[in-house]
Amino acid sequence: MAHYTPPAQSKLGQIIDVIVLVTLTVGALFAPLWLNLAGAAKTVATPVENPTWEALGQNAVQAGQYEALGYTPESAHDLILARFDYSFTSGALIVMIVVIVAYYALLLKFSESEYREVISEKFGKK
Amino acid sequence: MMETWNYIEYAAWGLSALFGLLMVMDWIKTDSTYSEDVLTSSREGELEAMTEESHKG
Amino acid sequence: MAQTDITSSERDGMGPHGTKVGLLRVLGPAHVWALGVGIVLVGEYMGWNFAVGKGGAYAALMACWFAGILYSCVAMIDSEVTSTVAAAGGQYTQAKHIVGPLMAFNVGLYLVFAYTMLEAANAITAGYLVSVVATMTGYGGALDQRPFIILVIMFLAWLNYRGVLATLTFNLVITSIAFIAIIVLFLSTSGIIGDGIMQHAALFEGHEKPYGWIGIVAAMHFGLWFYLGIEGTTQAAEEVRSPARALPFGTLAGIMTLLIAATLTWYICSGVLPWEFLGDGVNGSVAPLFDTARLSGSNALIWFLGIGTLFATLASANGCINDASRAWFALGRDKYLPAWFGAVHPQYRTPYRSIVFLVPIALIFALGAPLDQVITFSILSGLLGYTFMPLNILMFRKKWPMGTIKRGYEHPFHPIPAIVLLCLCAFTFFAVFLGYGTQLVAMIGFYIVVSLWFHFWRYRFVNRGAQFTMPWPKPLGY
Repeated sequence: MAHYTPPAQSKLGQIIDVIVLVTLTVGALFAPLWLNLAGAAKTVATPVENPTWEALGQNAVQAGQYEALGYTPESAHDLILARFDYSFTSGALIVMIVVIVAYYALLLKFSESEYREVISEKFGKK
Repeated sequence: MMETWNYIEYAAWGLSALFGLLMVMDWIKTDSTYSEDVLTSSREGELEAMTEESHKG
Repeated sequence: MAQTDITSSERDGMGPHGTKVGLLRVLGPAHVWALGVGIVLVGEYMGWNFAVGKGGAYAALMACWFAGILYSCVAMIDSEVTSTVAAAGGQYTQAKHIVGPLMAFNVGLYLVFAYTMLEAANAITAGYLVSVVATMTGYGGALDQRPFIILVIMFLAWLNYRGVLATLTFNLVITSIAFIAIIVLFLSTSGIIGDGIMQHAALFEGHEKPYGWIGIVAAMHFGLWFYLGIEGTTQAAEEVRSPARALPFGTLAGIMTLLIAATLTWYICSGVLPWEFLGDGVNGSVAPLFDTARLSGSNALIWFLGIGTLFATLASANGCINDASRAWFALGRDKYLPAWFGAVHPQYRTPYRSIVFLVPIALIFALGAPLDQVITFSILSGLLGYTFMPLNILMFRKKWPMGTIKRGYEHPFHPIPAIVLLCLCAFTFFAVFLGYGTQLVAMIGFYIVVSLWFHFWRYRFVNRGAQFTMPWPKPLGY
């Protein structure tokens, strides 16, 4: 194939390209935060009134370690009882699988066409 | 103790600025001393290319 | 030209393709080990314990070992490919030669983001440690952590700017101290020297599987944290004296070190700290090895592990600056990014513009985003990279079967490691989905957008045939 000569990029064009990339990056990190979608918070489902170590499900050794760390049953209450919620809908799972598979398919497809061009320029046609 | 830590805080600000300044000054000096041609002359795969040549030689 | 000694002082860094100033080839296998283990070891000092919170202590141990298998596959595959493709940029250059340019661009970005985010997480942790020391020494108010976070990044960037040998020798020293600290803590609390304080059975009683089996799956998300970054050894490829030998050796020695350190860390911490405390890295145990030392009652251990924690964060941030700047530099050199970034400092022989450019980026994340978000972004970028590796090795063996090119290291049992790795990655995607599904989709959305940007806009500035720099024969099937 004909040798491909890339156009020279102006200084301004280079700067714009960098700004675009940095903006996208920062956006991807902060968007879930701004939209309040950053999940994974723990919550206490059933609080215990006037907690004791026994009521919090701690045996003597466990309670001893908490006391050594400076906790009382009151101050350890939230730490001990808070749990994650792992429930999910199959719809959400399917969306995730589709997104991941589509992403890799896109990558492989475009890469392959670009790669063929590279190989034919480097090694010439068969 | 309060005061010592306040001084340490100032020292950290100062040192950060110093390291930043050292880098930026050297960067500007380097960019103005050498031509862009020399600075960006690095190419990938030079080691492999040379090993290959010495094998042939 | 026939008998050029590329490591001789007058030829060093130059090359037949016109390189006048290249990266300096000065590193040995010990530096490779220090780069790999240095980046990762901080994961033992903080962060891994989120896995305990996700599924309990046993789940964390299983995640530790499953992630260990995942990373052993990564190390084996990586060692084989990189012993053949020795260039700064590591997996990026591998992808470019084996899969294609768009994949390479994505892999380059995974590397830069995984390392820059990890660097930010380290700086945040270092700032927190300084504030703990301030409180321990009697400081009453709330210490401003920002100057310390900035100082960590500035100092290490400056060190990286000044030359790779000093940078990684520094890493070798502080990483070794941090590793020895874990061994000493194990010896002095497990009962091997003096009285043991381990109470695994009593601490686990009634809390064996707090979330049931799904907790074990969920724990895998943070199980990666035990080893995340070991694949960074390949970034040093262009600065190692004999890459075909030193890289596989340093990488495989590194993964063995980490398997030992990870298992010991789990054993020590889970035998002393109750799981609810251990598993909460925000309100509970921020630095679990340090907390274990606190309960040992020995002041010497408290100081040793405090120093170990600080050194581990510094070593990690240091290695991350090194790796992220190499990847960014390699992208610039091929014009995947503006060519301006592909510059090498004529005196220090480092990619100095990339190092300086990434400083403010790291600062944005270190000062502006919460720790678990930064860690998740880093883990996700890493995970996308591990998913690429099995595809990479399968295509590598297909396009260049054994014997067609010289390999410095050949990994055994192909294709089993590739298949195992792919399955474990799928498993980990599901684990991440359980807690951070939105971030996962947001991030892949980001990579899809930049991929389209690259394919339809940026790629026009890239030379086609010249990207393929390895002296290999034409791949089979093209």
